[in-house]
Amino acid sequence: MKSLAVVIGLALAVTAAAQTPYDILLKGGHVIDPRNDLNAARDVAVKDGKIARVEANIPASEAAKVVDVSGLYVTPGLIDLHVHVYAGTGARRGYNGDSSIYPDGFTLRSGVTTVVDVGSSGWEQFEDFKDRVIARSKTRVLSMLNIVSAGMTSGPEEHDTSEFDPEATAKMAKKYPGVIVGVKSAHYRHPDWTSVEKAVEAGTLADIPVMVDFGSNYPDARPLADLLTKKLRPGDIYTHCFAGNRDELLYETGKINPGMFAGRERGVKFDVGHGGGSFRWDVAVAALKQGFPPDSISTDLHVGSMNRGMQTMIRTVSKIYNLDVPLYDVIKMSTSNPANQIKRTDLGHLSVGAVADIAVIRDERGTYGFADSRGARYTGSKLLVSELTLREGDVVWDLNGLAGVHWKDVRERRRGQGRGRRRGQR
Amino acid sequence: MTKFLPRLALLSCLLAGSLFAQYDLLLKGGHVIDARNDIDGLKDVAIKDGRIAAVADSIDTSKAEKVVDVSGLYVTPGLVDIHVHVYAGTGMKGAYSGDNSVYPDGFSFRSGVTTMVDVGSSGWRNFPDFKQRVIDRAQTRVLSMLNIVGKGMGGGEIEQNLDDMDADATAKMAKQYPDTIVGVKCAHYAGPEWDPVERAVAAGTKADIPVMVDFGYFREERPFEELVTKKLRPGDMYTHTYLGRVPLLDENNKPRPYLFEAQKRGVKFDVGHGGGSFWWFQAVPSVKNGFIADSISTDLHIGSMNTGMKTMANVMSKFLALGLPLADVVRKSTWEPARQIKRTDLGHLSVGAGADVAVFRLDKGEFGFLDVRGARNMGDQLLSCELTLRDGSVKWDLNGRAGTPWQEAQGSTP
Repeated sequence: MKSLAVVIGLALAVTAAAQTPYDILLKGGHVIDPRNDLNAARDVAVKDGKIARVEANIPASEAAKVVDVSGLYVTPGLIDLHVHVYAGTGARRGYNGDSSIYPDGFTLRSGVTTVVDVGSSGWEQFEDFKDRVIARSKTRVLSMLNIVSAGMTSGPEEHDTSEFDPEATAKMAKKYPGVIVGVKSAHYRHPDWTSVEKAVEAGTLADIPVMVDFGSNYPDARPLADLLTKKLRPGDIYTHCFAGNRDELLYETGKINPGMFAGRERGVKFDVGHGGGSFRWDVAVAALKQGFPPDSISTDLHVGSMNRGMQTMIRTVSKIYNLDVPLYDVIKMSTSNPANQIKRTDLGHLSVGAVADIAVIRDERGTYGFADSRGARYTGSKLLVSELTLREGDVVWDLNGLAGVHWKDVRERRRGQGRGRRRGQR
Repeated sequence: MTKFLPRLALLSCLLAGSLFAQYDLLLKGGHVIDARNDIDGLKDVAIKDGRIAAVADSIDTSKAEKVVDVSGLYVTPGLVDIHVHVYAGTGMKGAYSGDNSVYPDGFSFRSGVTTMVDVGSSGWRNFPDFKQRVIDRAQTRVLSMLNIVGKGMGGGEIEQNLDDMDADATAKMAKQYPDTIVGVKCAHYAGPEWDPVERAVAAGTKADIPVMVDFGYFREERPFEELVTKKLRPGDMYTHTYLGRVPLLDENNKPRPYLFEAQKRGVKFDVGHGGGSFWWFQAVPSVKNGFIADSISTDLHIGSMNTGMKTMANVMSKFLALGLPLADVVRKSTWEPARQIKRTDLGHLSVGAGADVAVFRLDKGEFGFLDVRGARNMGDQLLSCELTLRDGSVKWDLNGRAGTPWQEAQGSTP
């Protein structure tokens, strides 16, 4: 008799779940989905890890779980186009080691569901990176291969042209399409164009974009304007665009380098790549004033940036937001724009059928200080805060317990009942 | 020559400035909470050569090379988180001596933590590897309690192997690194025997360091009451205090008397929040009725960092939500844990102490706090870490308070 009641109860529960069309419903939020030109109050329903419906007033009764997100912004999961997450190798100085960090502790809490590791590994180490980090992370980790076969060692390899192998790089990229989404040229300290040219060669062979960190500044031998107007292809990406290290801002005149505008005209994309040394307020302020916003906002997350001015993706986005860029635009620069740049148009939007990678963001007002990579402070009035993050429909971050239940309403599992889970096997 | 003169003059001015400045850094106008020194009030804190140089009602700003205005904020000793797992990078899957651990520096400073104690991720066999891989490379001060299991927290059967629980070898390794190994950990044991606890205590006795116990399975053959009233020595710690299956409360939701006896004996209760070890239904009645954990700690690992635990400051805020005064919450995260691990050089702001300092903002509002089952409790106060110093240097500065306005920064164009 008792077991019959249990069976009936179970059947009812199963039926209830089967009858609700949606697993989770984000109710009452304001959706910003630039790819779909959407900037309005909408409910978002998720089923089986995918976006099932985006509409005004989806009834709460149609979802197994309803999360009240009124007063908050609902956006696609952010895409951080510039990170270093090839951690754990034990290599002491390199970004293919100690200078990298594991992604999950920095991404989800900041609304980020996809990161692109740009050049920490080259083709030689990519499969180790894949096994060690990409395959073990909740965050979607994509990669741009360093044109340096040995990757970002922070050693002489990065400046040794015999390490640049476009064919091997393109071959590895073609083996993992969609995961390897670009080629990186970085840190090159010699006055020739070899690093850039070889990266572009690899990018052309594999039909993927190139991202350039322009290394040492050689205003005569390889000027920025030549890179942007002659060397890079449309669709290639110039990162650290507000670094001020390579004549992005011409200090004598206070003008943004005309080559930047010319490059943009050709279709070259400009990425923030904040990092530990690559974001200056004087450059960013001048750029925004002179009509040069970035195409993509990214962190250049690594051990040297995480505890300094950069801090987190959501604060990096807040910085650009405080330069009088509309919220819709900064979300675009951290979702659909970077997705398009890496040709992963399946990401960065909330279209029905798309993977349910979602960020829920609070837009606070107050007085906030934002340090740049030199410790110079900009005082702003707006701060974005990551409240809730979903990855493939699962709640992977919930700052204030929006998706939780009041503790008194949770059925108590009392002491002494059962042996409990074995903690060591968690 | 003339070209260099102005530079020389500037250089000598700078040198003179720093030579004549009595202090390197002055935290001005904050509310200091320093339990060891019974301070809970407005004080200025001055730092010189990485050490606390003065704590006084008012210190003249002209005496410091750099002044940071911390008015409206709380200045505390750098937090001591005595329960973390940071033995990352070994590539070991599903183990705290590997993938379940995180690297410390991305989680410590941004939450005001300057010292972490890794409890049992490594045992005596792999401690040297942990040391060279993490401890020696971290900016956070990382201390360790050795797992009584020689191979450490390797998961599964590794941690159940009584043959690898060697008190002598554990004590020997601890004595070899007295500055770093501050205790012995016993954890995750499933069997009915007391052996793991007894061997951990034997190792702790040999090395004269405390033991911390995660009780694993709670089994009738080894009752919890006996652990805290008989098996553990005064000064030993039980961690995961508010875990769901700990027999804390009686039928009337009151803490059981033996808990107070155990505390009276000197056994310490540590929070160790983790991904499964903090339940509101245990914590709320316990704290309300006077059974309060001695030390607040995170049990930081990949399973706790993104769930209810989040950060040390968040766990501390939960205790504010439980009704504890801020001064108690700070004491339980600084001086109290420092004493538990016998590192009385840490956790306070005495003149001469290493300048590990945290500065917090206490926000008022409506904040939700999840436990490990997704149960939410509300609080009206939230601690946020504004600034963290380690040995006097700025390691975290949320709002750029130690920075200069960008328009005045060197090399800027208008």
